[in-house]
Amino acid sequence: MQRDIVIELFFPHSTAKVWEALTTPELLGKWFMKNDFKAEVGHHFNFKDKPRPGVAWDGIVYCEVLEVVPQRKLAYSWKGGPKPGVINLDTTLTWTLTPQDNGTLLKLEHRGYKGFKNYFSSIIMEKGYKLKVLKRLEEVLKQL
Amino acid sequence: MSKKKLDVFQAIADPTRRAILILLAAQALPINALAENFDMSRPAVSKHVKVLHESGLIRIEESGRERYCMLNQNGFREVTNWFAFFEKYWNDKLHLLGKLLDDNNQ
Repeated sequence: MQRDIVIELFFPHSTAKVWEALTTPELLGKWFMKNDFKAEVGHHFNFKDKPRPGVAWDGIVYCEVLEVVPQRKLAYSWKGGPKPGVINLDTTLTWTLTPQDNGTLLKLEHRGYKGFKNYFSSIIMEKGYKLKVLKRLEEVLKQL
Repeated sequence: MSKKKLDVFQAIADPTRRAILILLAAQALPINALAENFDMSRPAVSKHVKVLHESGLIRIEESGRERYCMLNQNGFREVTNWFAFFEKYWNDKLHLLGKLLDDNNQ
């Protein structure tokens, strides 16, 4: 069940420009989402997008800055759910910038999905059931 | 999107319901046979079965006088929707970032 999303994209712009777009609240608001971001480790902030009931997300992301390496790396927690106080998605978003050919290779990593992983591994981990049964469940989950 | 009374996450949050899913992963079972696995009344087990059914994680089929419970794979699929959603979401956002950077450079 555990899956991570990793996307790499080249931009013909300097790492300074890309970093600016990733860390300036006004610029972030233009391409990403409205926010009260600050590039300081430990800073808690929110992103606000339109609600997506189809995936049980009210459009609010609860974040904490985890890592800041100017023009190289930015990481924050990324939590969300269907309504305030209910977190289904407990993940981490990491941006990595690498200078390349007069531009920047930007890597986005969306990892964790603890919400799912915990639920499903807790199913698998329940004790008192025969191994055969657990294997069958794992097979079922793999086919999803 | 289907309208369901209970979301999958709430359904799976309970240990008894997780145990029911594990039992059903092995084979389809009538509610009575399921109930024998638990130290609780049959109505109590039925209640959990109802929750799982409403969340879409299991199906219930009548066979003779018995009602058989079985896993419903489509129900599990809902949790994988997040992945599909975010894959598209990030690609859309990165496209916007590219446009912003291009516009600012002109």
